Amino acid sequence: MSFPISKKALAAAALALTATVTAACSGSGGGTTGGGASAGGKVTIRWSTWGSAEDVALYKGFNDDFMKRHPNVVLKMETVPKYEDYHPKLLTQLTSKTAPDVFFVGDDNVGKFVAAGVLSPLNDKLAGPDSKSKPEDFSEGIYGGAKKDGQIYGVPNDTNPEVLWYGKKALKEAGITEDPAELNAAGKWTMAKYLEMNAKLKAAGKAGSLFWNWYGSTYSVIGGFGGKVWDGGRFVATTDPKSRKALETLAKGYADKTFLSADVLPASNGANTQFLKGTAGFFAGGRWMIDVVKKGGDLPNYDIVPFPSETGQPIPGAVAASYLALNKDSKNAKEAFTFLTEFVSKEGQLLRLKGGGAVPSVKGAEQIVLEGNYPAHAQTLLDVRDTGFANYPEEVAVPGLTKEINDHLLKVWTGKVAFEQGMTELQAIVDGKIG
Amino acid sequence: MGVVTPARPAAKARPARAATRVRHRDGWWAALFLAPQVIGLLAFLVFPLGFAVVLAFMKWDGLGEKSWAGFDNFAAQLSDPDFGTAVWNTVKLAFLTVPVGLALALLIALALNQVKGKTFYRVVYFLPVVTSSVAVAVMWQIILASGDYGVLNRTVYDWFGIALPNWLEDPGWVIVSIAVVTIWSSLGLNVVIFLAGLQTIPPALMEAARIDGAGPIRVFRSVTLPMISPTVFFSTVVAVISSFQAFDQIYVLVNPDHNDGARTIVYQIYDLGFQNFEFGMSSAAALILLVLTLLVTLVQFGVQKRFVHYDS
Repeated sequence: MSFPISKKALAAAALALTATVTAACSGSGGGTTGGGASAGGKVTIRWSTWGSAEDVALYKGFNDDFMKRHPNVVLKMETVPKYEDYHPKLLTQLTSKTAPDVFFVGDDNVGKFVAAGVLSPLNDKLAGPDSKSKPEDFSEGIYGGAKKDGQIYGVPNDTNPEVLWYGKKALKEAGITEDPAELNAAGKWTMAKYLEMNAKLKAAGKAGSLFWNWYGSTYSVIGGFGGKVWDGGRFVATTDPKSRKALETLAKGYADKTFLSADVLPASNGANTQFLKGTAGFFAGGRWMIDVVKKGGDLPNYDIVPFPSETGQPIPGAVAASYLALNKDSKNAKEAFTFLTEFVSKEGQLLRLKGGGAVPSVKGAEQIVLEGNYPAHAQTLLDVRDTGFANYPEEVAVPGLTKEINDHLLKVWTGKVAFEQGMTELQAIVDGKIG
Repeated sequence: MGVVTPARPAAKARPARAATRVRHRDGWWAALFLAPQVIGLLAFLVFPLGFAVVLAFMKWDGLGEKSWAGFDNFAAQLSDPDFGTAVWNTVKLAFLTVPVGLALALLIALALNQVKGKTFYRVVYFLPVVTSSVAVAVMWQIILASGDYGVLNRTVYDWFGIALPNWLEDPGWVIVSIAVVTIWSSLGLNVVIFLAGLQTIPPALMEAARIDGAGPIRVFRSVTLPMISPTVFFSTVVAVISSFQAFDQIYVLVNPDHNDGARTIVYQIYDLGFQNFEFGMSSAAALILLVLTLLVTLVQFGVQKRFVHYDS
């Protein structure tokens, strides 16, 4: 049997196939390692983020505007829908040197990227004439793990301060006559008062508070008891008496259903549903909650208040933040920084945050939060942003530590591990991770 | 031996050298033709496997320096309750999916073997196999979701007033739900394989058995099953390995991070590596899975000698 194709042609085809497969498997290419000037002198800048379809639509608007003003730059946006899927992909890209020129990093992951030396230091660039915003335009506390030894490695994109949303009707039905926001304005918003309200809600057959199981809620409660989480580079949440009291209060509250963990509620009766139905009085969350309460159709029923403190005086609250970082290996660092600085600038945030659920990280863009006059105490979001803190640098510098802490605390909250045992194990986990 | 090789005439030497040249040239051509497969094998199997073995003895977060950990990663995994949960869930999943899935596939194949239009049914049963596993998981999520969200629960409640369990979140039911989805999505493959096996049985053999007075059950037990036993064995090995490697559908269908009932070994590997950035630990868990799979497969190969008939 003879073949009409010669051996040479077949071998060439085999080699071409090999080359194609190898090239196809070598990553998306471009950007960092090969994203130089394309034909026509244009520079391609790859940048990546996570986000919903709505977020992506807002970013596209910014992209289009940027490319109009910088015709020599082509922006290529790479998005991952789920936050928890984003960092594994970014890590893989950084390890294989195919990461984008500019990328989002979450506050619980930024520390390890800083420690690994894959982010470009930004102090000089931010102080330079091309920078559209200065380091001091952002509150010191929200740099979190993106700042190390005075050097900035990521600029906050936007923030979401953790506050307590409350349903006025639910509180009233539980016989609560005082308004938390008014108590806060009078300097009387204490942890004791908050727990008293939770007990009344429980007695009325409702849940007191709904929390997502993340550092923002847990550490805000610890702060409300006057406790510490990290002290002198050591994790003290399980040993500091006030912190331990806070964690024990949370554990007891979860056990008797005064508190509900939003993470483990069934989809059919999830946290949003319970809050909107008024079966829970408080719900810890950020400005993104506006979209949730809009679904209830009774906007005036809801307002916000910071987490309470031991004395009633304001304390720093947790602020969810994400950062925009510049890849140290970017071949187009100049254009990449131009994109970064415009993205995080006041003008950039005004453009891309309009209609979204975030709080601007940069000073001067406050109208995003205040212009709708909703919620009534929207200023609280800005106050918490300005005095609050992103996750502790000591914690975020250790890969996976925040997740391990959260995972273990969830076992305590759900009763799978007894409180005392849970605290011992938690301390061992943290000590084991930080070495 | 005392045999003297006669000297070759000079004229014969040239064709011999030419033959050697041809053999060498053919060798190069063979290497070229084999290159795609060999390169693929080296790049995507040998190198990653070797790297995973090395990593299993290291501590590495994916970006920083690697440090030697010895057997610490293995010891940590073997004493980790999460790993124990993952192994137990994986074993439960295998016990649910393999016997039920294969028995169902065999029944369907036996039925299809009797009907006209086999090709049409083969295509119908094979459709879930060629459908994206993510799409399959999302579809079943819609069916099995709890309360008002789930098609199944809502329909049963509306029609009969019966409240069904929370299939995807109740730790007692979640692995059963995963098993149902796995069986549904892999059924077509097993049906097609069994159907192919059934069609290799010589009709004369069946006819002879019937002439000898064997009823349908006896024919199945004494002729059909022995004749397709190599096919059953092959499908069993593949199904067990697949159930040990279950991940994508589970990842989309439920969130094993918040539901220990759905944590399987491969999810544990993913969680350690890509959520906790403990690549050494993750590789150790992967190697333990590899050893477990090898052991189970070896046992299967040992047992098959007693049940599988290779003579036609």
